[in-house]
Amino acid sequence: MSLLTIDGLNLTIDGKPLVSNLSLSIGPGERLGLIGESGSGKSLTAMAATGLLPRAILPSGSVTLGGQQVIGAPDRVLDALRATVAAFVFQEPLTALDPLLRVGRQVAEPLQRRARRDGRALAGAALNREVLALLEQVALPQPERIARSYPHEISGGQRQRVAIAMALACRPQLLIADEPTTALDVTTQAEILKLIDGLVRERGMALLFISHDLPVVAEIVERVVVMRKGVAVEAGPVREVFGAPRHDYTRSLVAAAKAFDAALEGTP
Amino acid sequence: MSAVAAIARRPRTSLTLWIGLALVGIHVAVALLSLVWTPYDPTGMTGGRLAPPSWAHWAGTDRLGRDFFTQIMIGSRIALIVGTSAVAVGALIGVTLGMLAAFATRLLDDALAATLDILIAFPTLLIAMLVVAASDTASLGTAVLALGIALSAIVARLTRILAKRVLLMDYITAARTSGTSWLGIVFQHVLPNIWPTLSVNFALQFGLAVIAEASLSYLGLGAPPPNASWGRLLQEAQGTVYTAPIGAIAPGIALLSLVIGVNLLADGLRDIADPTRRVSR
Repeated sequence: MSLLTIDGLNLTIDGKPLVSNLSLSIGPGERLGLIGESGSGKSLTAMAATGLLPRAILPSGSVTLGGQQVIGAPDRVLDALRATVAAFVFQEPLTALDPLLRVGRQVAEPLQRRARRDGRALAGAALNREVLALLEQVALPQPERIARSYPHEISGGQRQRVAIAMALACRPQLLIADEPTTALDVTTQAEILKLIDGLVRERGMALLFISHDLPVVAEIVERVVVMRKGVAVEAGPVREVFGAPRHDYTRSLVAAAKAFDAALEGTP
Repeated sequence: MSAVAAIARRPRTSLTLWIGLALVGIHVAVALLSLVWTPYDPTGMTGGRLAPPSWAHWAGTDRLGRDFFTQIMIGSRIALIVGTSAVAVGALIGVTLGMLAAFATRLLDDALAATLDILIAFPTLLIAMLVVAASDTASLGTAVLALGIALSAIVARLTRILAKRVLLMDYITAARTSGTSWLGIVFQHVLPNIWPTLSVNFALQFGLAVIAEASLSYLGLGAPPPNASWGRLLQEAQGTVYTAPIGAIAPGIALLSLVIGVNLLADGLRDIADPTRRVSR
């Protein structure tokens, strides 16, 4: 059974369509890339998948997450569902962390919630150990110092690692990464990608990777869905879609990426 | 935050807090002292009428010969009670309504926002008078309640807009994804993040409430005599301001020092509550 199935999803605001007739599915351990320019409805699709759409946006169609219909489900049901099935990593690491809480405290929060759901108590020294272990897993140096820091006291790359640690704390089956490397510099990007790739593999998590950056997507996922103006124009395995693009838009994307690579190689 | 900026901020932060604490502390001390001791009986005629300040009467006497300093001491009690309780009532109603609006559906939010805009369009004092008029008797309690309700509209609107801004942040979505309930979001993330701005607003409103209480008292809708509120002292001094200016100056200084003190204290407390403004360790 698949983890996330989106079938004929339509999103509208004030009657205007934002996403039309979108279908995709992700099974356990699968990695899917969602590609498109900004405004193409990628992030909205991810929000719809977890039932976190802004109220003004109306969904129709079917979204099943972990076997539960999301559209129209009450928050009470979704709260429990979200915590165990899916977790988010966002584009902008600064707004992804509460500026008023120390990093350790923010990571502890989802850890405790997950523990409570599993029916075990987690507090004090044991909680502390798990927080530090998690920070170590996302390869943060000096986890004890980081845990005591406020978000503004650590670097952007470190904040993104903390955000990933928080997402992992819920031990989700599906990790939704919404342009997780866009706000970072190139070296940090590569490190974060490697980290996500390794963690997803290690834990057998499914991954929904949203990006406009073709090379990045090609590196980390198996299948892609290309979106344009709210419509999925092409879908399939990475090699097929990028190797022999059928739709004009995908072709122009691939051509642009190739031209960029060529330009880089031409100027040593 | 650079180290230089942090160091540059260091003296300012602590100085603001300490001056605020000192001013408010003096007023609280005087208010407490007035419960057990005042230089004279507040209603007793103890000297000549409209006497200038002297060793016997530090702030002179009023037109009935009552000691002015005694009345100001008692007035600080009233000011503190009215200020804190009116702001507390306003905060309780305002923050609740504002949060509701921020979380509500679009229709309910629009309705609440429109209602608040209409309420804000009315002068605070007018709403307060309306509330007092609707209750049977004028007392300190009704004055506090009236001012609290009048202030709550501004608090509600501020809370609504601040909360909405926080709700757009990714950490809210992240918290929602990890299964935090709405109530958890409010107490864990939204309230702490909007508190610095709200608390400064509360300090401003404290001043407004004290002044508004004075106006209510003048109209006979506030604390009834023999409660000597500063506002009433000011109004009584109005007619004799040229012959005995101390009658207006003394309560004026008392009012000013309390309002400035509360504002500085709120600024200092905000700097402590916000880690990004705090002096780095």
